[in-house]
Amino acid sequence: MDRVNPRYVLVVVAAVAGCVAPFVMGDLTFLMRMLLAAIVVTGLSLLMGYAGQASLGQGAFVAVGAVTVAVATTRWGVPPLLALVAAPLVAGAFAALVGVPLLRLRGHYLAFGTLALLLMVQTAMSTFDFLGGAFGISGIPPFGVGGTVFADQRPYVLLALGLLALVLFVTHRIVDSRFGRGIRALAGSETAAESAGVPVVRAKLVIFALSAMYAGLAGGLSAFFTPYVSPDSFPALESFTYVIMAVVGGLGTLWGGVVGAVLVSTLLQLLNLVSSQPQLPPTLGPILQYATYGGLLILALLFMRRGLVPAVEGAVTRAVSRRGGAGRT
Amino acid sequence: MLRIDDLVVRYGSAVAVDGVSFEVGAGEMVALVGPNGAGKSTLINAISGLVPPHSGTVACEGRIAQVPEGRQMFADMSVEDNLLLGGWSIRNRDLGEVYDLLPDLAGMRKRKAGRLSGGQQQMVAVGRALMARPDLLAIDELSLGLAPLVVAELAEHLRFLNRERGTAVLLVEQEVTLAFDVCPRALVLEAGRIIAAGPSVELAQSETVRKAYFGDLAVAEMMTGPTAQATTEVST
Amino acid sequence: MTELVAYLISGIALGSSFALIGSGIVVVHRVTRVVNFAQGSVAIVGGMASATLLDGRLPHGLGEIAAVLLSGVLGLVIGLLAIGRRGTPPLISLIVTLGASMLVSAAIIWLWGQDPVTPPGLRGSVTILGAEVERQRLLVVVATGVAFAALALFFSRSYLGKGLTASASNPFAARMVGIDVRKMGLLAFGLAGILGGLAGVLIAPSNPLSFYSDLPLVLGGFAAAVFGGLTSPLRTLLGGLCLGVAGQLTAGYLNGSYQTEMALLLMLVIMIIRSRALVQEEVK
Repeated sequence: MDRVNPRYVLVVVAAVAGCVAPFVMGDLTFLMRMLLAAIVVTGLSLLMGYAGQASLGQGAFVAVGAVTVAVATTRWGVPPLLALVAAPLVAGAFAALVGVPLLRLRGHYLAFGTLALLLMVQTAMSTFDFLGGAFGISGIPPFGVGGTVFADQRPYVLLALGLLALVLFVTHRIVDSRFGRGIRALAGSETAAESAGVPVVRAKLVIFALSAMYAGLAGGLSAFFTPYVSPDSFPALESFTYVIMAVVGGLGTLWGGVVGAVLVSTLLQLLNLVSSQPQLPPTLGPILQYATYGGLLILALLFMRRGLVPAVEGAVTRAVSRRGGAGRT
Repeated sequence: MLRIDDLVVRYGSAVAVDGVSFEVGAGEMVALVGPNGAGKSTLINAISGLVPPHSGTVACEGRIAQVPEGRQMFADMSVEDNLLLGGWSIRNRDLGEVYDLLPDLAGMRKRKAGRLSGGQQQMVAVGRALMARPDLLAIDELSLGLAPLVVAELAEHLRFLNRERGTAVLLVEQEVTLAFDVCPRALVLEAGRIIAAGPSVELAQSETVRKAYFGDLAVAEMMTGPTAQATTEVST
Repeated sequence: MTELVAYLISGIALGSSFALIGSGIVVVHRVTRVVNFAQGSVAIVGGMASATLLDGRLPHGLGEIAAVLLSGVLGLVIGLLAIGRRGTPPLISLIVTLGASMLVSAAIIWLWGQDPVTPPGLRGSVTILGAEVERQRLLVVVATGVAFAALALFFSRSYLGKGLTASASNPFAARMVGIDVRKMGLLAFGLAGILGGLAGVLIAPSNPLSFYSDLPLVLGGFAAAVFGGLTSPLRTLLGGLCLGVAGQLTAGYLNGSYQTEMALLLMLVIMIIRSRALVQEEVK
């Protein structure tokens, strides 16, 4: 019988750890934020790794998802489940709409274009009272289906875990499909992809909208969890963090987004604990945060261009094949 | 003055130049001919120091300046600026000598290099190389894409430079007739190795060269389609 | 009428600062094809350093110059990170400079704290066509004009400037004539640091800067540079002025809080309209 693929062992371990954590940890805010980030970054990693397009404003679509839930539940009394389903759909539709002009840009221009989009979404939120205005929308009801209502943090974390699994499954199916193999050529050369018969414009738009749907889903869930949505909930720095997580984990890999989100979030949480010691100056927190972001990004890009997941995978494969080869002979 | 000893150049695992040795004397004009992909450009880039050798040595008493394939103008800059930049490595900003040797350049010094005709650009490329006051001019494809009359004029300029300045010339050329006509001595390169060397007059009669070249031509003639295409590409 | 003149002049002053930041982005992009996201952070360091140096340590003039030079050194260090490692693709370099801007933010909070800092500038104001204009804003406009003239002369007349232009125009040929293209790229980053520092030193007296200002600054600068296709300093200047005036007119006649959005919207429109041409420039 063949040996068990180490990758599956890791997946099972991660899943078990994810299911146990909500029951042993005290405050689950950190865990929830991490899971939401993992959902967003899985989409961003798909966009950056497969379509070869950098988005510095992925938070725009998180915001659209969050606002969808906030407006639908507080203004129209839409049931929570329906609102949560609408969040990724609205975000995806929004991305498909703005993507038509925006994706004519490439490289640097698209990076700045998406950042501009985020800032304009923020402005729209603070300008139109319908979207919350300067004070945002509060009083979003807790999530629930039928008679069951989420009373504390734990069910949210479990729901987020389930949705992350769903997102990973969908991503896996897409990447392995004919379409997925086609778009893989996009990151290399658009001209080459085009001549190989890949409908470049449409493929980029589909990936862009899909990554926006993931972001919108995370945004919708965060609106129930927080339960408050304002323009300040989606600072540009958060969108940069998504890029850092994607790069650290490894662009264009299924698990890169999750690994990046877990590692970066954990590191920041640890630094937070260190810097919030009472005898230390209050500016130490932001200093450490910025320094970590910058340092991680630069180190990862210069010394581990492909990211952690491919690097570790390569090392494991080499080690296993060496041992396997020795065993057989 | 230029001495190449057992030079090997590799791109990854592919060997482009495979154990080449030859010499060019001071003031000598030597042609380097061979079919497409024989490694001529790689060899000349290795001599100019643009490509690192895998093994072997390139020793030169004096300066080498290259006239690159495709002329490689600084297209949005003036002819004068192109020439000035040619003197970058020795901080030579005196244009007088080059304008004396190639008077045509003085007439177009204010024009943008990218707007010139192919022949004029080739002249600028030669002038730019001369600004480095070279003892050896390494020319990669003098005739490529140029009309025969223009090529003849350029060849005349080269002979003149060689006579006046004593500049040695290493001429890489696909156009064998031209190369043999300009340079008294020639080397034939095929698949990264020198397969024949000697006076051009003798090589022109030799069976090996006929095979390397006219064999190539015969094959090309059989595939008239691609040849026709290649010709149109050259003329554009 | 007086109102309009006031908006126009303050718009030109604002646009000048966009243009100065943008010129740094253009200088780096021309030579290296990299967009330097840290250009705004460099400007903040320039402004804050001048505040510290002018606070009893150095006299006016000297303090500003020292701050600008310091920014140049910072620009060079960012360049080393962004293009120091051979074979880093431009888009990766952009994200490296994003990381560099975060490191600079950390340094700014460490050295100057989180509150806005403002160095002393020219005091008082003059009346132009009935509109009152702060002297400092006039200084920004004049200094920007001088900086762009100097930049144009540097690129077109000086040997070094020609070497920079050549590296941008044809890197292979530049290498062939003996120009060290990587060194030229680093030089461009240093020069951009000086331009960014100058922008910060000039802006800070009338608009206090904090580590938070980096994003508005780099976006304004990038928007101006987009007008110049990221390669032309002159068109960047015009672009900056257009953005500044449009922003101030929006602020004056519509709503004060929309001037940045106006600039961003203009930038997006220009980018999308010119996308085909811009992509070609990128490829070239």
